[in-house]
Amino acid sequence: MCFRNLHRRRLRTFLCVLGITLATSLIITIGATTSRYVSIIKEMHTYFSGKVVIVSKGTIVIEAFPISTGNLFQTMVDKLKQNISEVKDAIPMLFIFNFEGTIEISPKNFTVGIPYGNWSVLVGPTPLKSGGSWPSENAYEAVIGSSLSDQFNLSVGDSIKLKTYDLVVTGVLDTSSALLSRSILVSLDIAQKIYNYYNLVNLIVVEPKEGVNPKELAGIIETRIENVEALTEDETTNLAQPLISNIETWALGITTVLFILSMIFVTAVSIMNVSERRRDFATLDAIGAPKTFIYKMVIMETGLMGLMGGLSGILLGSILAIIVASIYTSIPISLFLPGIFDITPPTLMLEVLVSTVSVSCVAGIIPSIAAAKMKIAEVLKVEY
Amino acid sequence: MKIKTVDLTRIFRVGSSEIIAVNKVSLDIEEASFVAIVGPSGSGKSTLLNLVGLNDYPNYGKVLIDNINTTLLSGSQRRKIRLFKMGFIFQTFNLLPTLTALENVELPMALACKPQKEQRENAIKLLEGVGLSAKVHHRPKELSMGEMQRVAIARALANNPELVIADEPTGELDSETAKEIIALLFDTSKSEKRTVIVATHDEKIVDAADVVYVMRDGKLNKKDM
Repeated sequence: MCFRNLHRRRLRTFLCVLGITLATSLIITIGATTSRYVSIIKEMHTYFSGKVVIVSKGTIVIEAFPISTGNLFQTMVDKLKQNISEVKDAIPMLFIFNFEGTIEISPKNFTVGIPYGNWSVLVGPTPLKSGGSWPSENAYEAVIGSSLSDQFNLSVGDSIKLKTYDLVVTGVLDTSSALLSRSILVSLDIAQKIYNYYNLVNLIVVEPKEGVNPKELAGIIETRIENVEALTEDETTNLAQPLISNIETWALGITTVLFILSMIFVTAVSIMNVSERRRDFATLDAIGAPKTFIYKMVIMETGLMGLMGGLSGILLGSILAIIVASIYTSIPISLFLPGIFDITPPTLMLEVLVSTVSVSCVAGIIPSIAAAKMKIAEVLKVEY
Repeated sequence: MKIKTVDLTRIFRVGSSEIIAVNKVSLDIEEASFVAIVGPSGSGKSTLLNLVGLNDYPNYGKVLIDNINTTLLSGSQRRKIRLFKMGFIFQTFNLLPTLTALENVELPMALACKPQKEQRENAIKLLEGVGLSAKVHHRPKELSMGEMQRVAIARALANNPELVIADEPTGELDSETAKEIIALLFDTSKSEKRTVIVATHDEKIVDAADVVYVMRDGKLNKKDM
């Protein structure tokens, strides 16, 4: 009956559902995009756990990764090992975001220079796909992430170009990590040559000796070495937290506004529907329909519109989220399609669907009260 | 169903003026009687039917149904009486446009929570009774005026009510169809021993009625037969 009532006013129902669809798709797109950003930032937090990260003072850092210029002399590594007894090991790294163009909000890929043999400091236990091997010392070789391999159809033995240098791909990282899958790992000395960072790095990862508190070690480093920032795991998290909070607050704000707009829209359409069907409601009342029946009928109608708009909005929003992700990563849409649920997680889809239907049902409350409150005698008299 | 009204009064306020639509009406309707209320337009017939049908509240006076003072009943008790004991037929039929004839007739039974199978069987039987067995799946817009009124009659009888209230049931119909509708209503009253109250201008209904009341300016008087 509810479906037929909606079908009878198909144009209005369609426009209402379209409105909900657009709002829901925006919610999904914003939600998926921000949650992807946040999850990438949070994923970055998993690197260098329990270690101290040294960057040049004033460098902007997201989690442990420097995103602005600020260099350190590589000789600092020896100074750290020799002069600070609490240091077990110190590994210099060069972390370069490879941007193309000027308006991109995300790098296409990252080049990471790591001293030969120390790959695990970044990749941990991540394996290479079969047939691969780590780059040799002082060789123009690279290991690339799986997303780059898929996008550019690269495999072991193929050649890639970084700046003016040709590198041979020796392996492909078998990972779904957003950071690693877009990474190009090369020996530190090769990376320094390619990017003109002679004897310079922008990140040193320090492993404290057993029993040494990383926070204490960071304090010692900052005291003894000038113009550096030594960041513990907590500090890197704290640095990223305001960014995450900002992103999440904006997303929540926009989502709330869109939900409120949807609710006003559904309420307005539903009030119109109810006012046009005064005689139907009066008739139902006259033949003894309980008020709950009328409430349920109106609320189910708005809920149905919410369900239809929610489902189509999720579909549209998921597609938009992929397009947005493709734009900001420059990864072709076709590569995102198999991982549609990675971009828009099913939990987000479910949350948005439940919220949309709930908001639509709430939007039906006022019209349903109006419908149930109609005075039969007056309505029937007027409608004659 | 026995109906009695005592000094029933309904006043409508329009701006600063008052219109007494029903003025101290007292009437007594016996069980299984076929009652006609006649009178010019605006004389208060529909208002009186709405009061008797518990669709409206009087300003003064009371409606007694089987000796129960309905003015003291709650809204939900009045709804139950309307649903289980009364059937309504309107001049403009008031069928729900999105439902088929069959579904319109099933609706009061569904509201009364009768089993689906029983609803379907009874509805088909009722539609057959009003001569619409071939059009059970038609929507109101696919039916003629007379057919719509037949569906409305079948709907009014769905929960086997003791009282049927019809407000100008032939007002929108041609004379031939009106005659058939009157016959149906009369048959409903006599074969099932139902009380039927009809507000009408139609002389044919007046001729068929057991009792005729004349309403004028809100006042009701019994017409000598």
